[in-house]
Amino acid sequence: MALIYRDTRMSDVIDHEPSVIPVINRFGINLGTGDMSVAEICASHSLDPDFVLVILNTFVNDGYFPEERLLGFQVGEIIGYLVKTDNYYRHYQLPNIRRHFSLLLKSAEGANASLEAMYRFYKELEGDIESRIDHDLNEWFPAITELQADGAQGVVLPLPDSDSCIEDKLSDLKNMFIKHLSGNYDLNLCYAVIVAIITLEKDMRQNNRIRDRILLPISRSLQNKG
Amino acid sequence: MMTVTLLLDDTLQGIGLRYLLRQYFDIDAAMSASVDESGDSASSLYFVSPRVFASSLDFFIPRRARTVIIGESLDINGSESSLIEQLDSILKIVEQRRPEDTASAELSQREIEVLSLVATGLINKEIADRLNISFNTVLSHRKNITAKLGIKSVSGLSVYAMMNGYISESDLHR
Repeated sequence: MALIYRDTRMSDVIDHEPSVIPVINRFGINLGTGDMSVAEICASHSLDPDFVLVILNTFVNDGYFPEERLLGFQVGEIIGYLVKTDNYYRHYQLPNIRRHFSLLLKSAEGANASLEAMYRFYKELEGDIESRIDHDLNEWFPAITELQADGAQGVVLPLPDSDSCIEDKLSDLKNMFIKHLSGNYDLNLCYAVIVAIITLEKDMRQNNRIRDRILLPISRSLQNKG
Repeated sequence: MMTVTLLLDDTLQGIGLRYLLRQYFDIDAAMSASVDESGDSASSLYFVSPRVFASSLDFFIPRRARTVIIGESLDINGSESSLIEQLDSILKIVEQRRPEDTASAELSQREIEVLSLVATGLINKEIADRLNISFNTVLSHRKNITAKLGIKSVSGLSVYAMMNGYISESDLHR
């Protein structure tokens, strides 16, 4: 599957790339898509099919990023998606990693110092992601919406360097598991934690492209106008 | 960094080879119509058709060890898996000539010293002063440490240093 179109069956998309499940979930689309096409599902959820298609295509194809097309969408629509993404991280993906990671730690019965150090590192990373979300939801996004509405003065940008710093730490954590883990632990739980971390890493990498290359230029140009 | 250039008569053959190199070996091969001395280095590899080889003998003879002639050193009439196996052994031979690849993945004593100082929160300038080495040397040690460990962030490096006993919990809270 190269690109996804309006008439592509949603079940084919998921079958081809199961990592889109958290992405469709945040649009309110659940599994059990039957034979419905992307356009049909969007219609039944009152979603803009063109927007959903761009998001799915950029997610599935690492090299695909239709910058022009994304810039053509309403800022409100882009922010709406990023809000959903932030909330999804906060309410589903982070708690999921935390839950499995703490079970993994328990399975080692306090005898695995490297896992404990990695868990502390994860908690720090989670704190970084939480503060980025706080800043997004309480300052950056509302400031853009306000600037758009009445051209009010205000200089609010995303937390400096937070995107690249979070990406680095996620990749560090993954490599700690892959290259440096030692001692005894539950293999199956460990796999669950790694998969959850890799899923979040991919999700945030794709999401950061939208933040850095779409929303950031928009918010800069709004401020210059203001 | 190995570079691969395809100089073939058949465009489709080139596209196919390029696809396999990317898909299986993570190599972005360039397709070219003629030889280019300026882009050549000891780690450049060439896939050429017999015609191209014959027409630029002055270029390819000195680089014979890095030149793969289609149909002679690479049999393209077999299955996809046979092609992949052939490519794999060709690329392995070329890679083994590169000394930087055989370098140990273990940290050197000096790198461990730098790592421990990074992990306790010192900045590059302070590390340079402490170890009596230049700022640029610190940067190059840090680059190598990150490449060997796969860990980039300072707090990630602290965790690694602690996991391996290079620093203790008390060093961290100084």
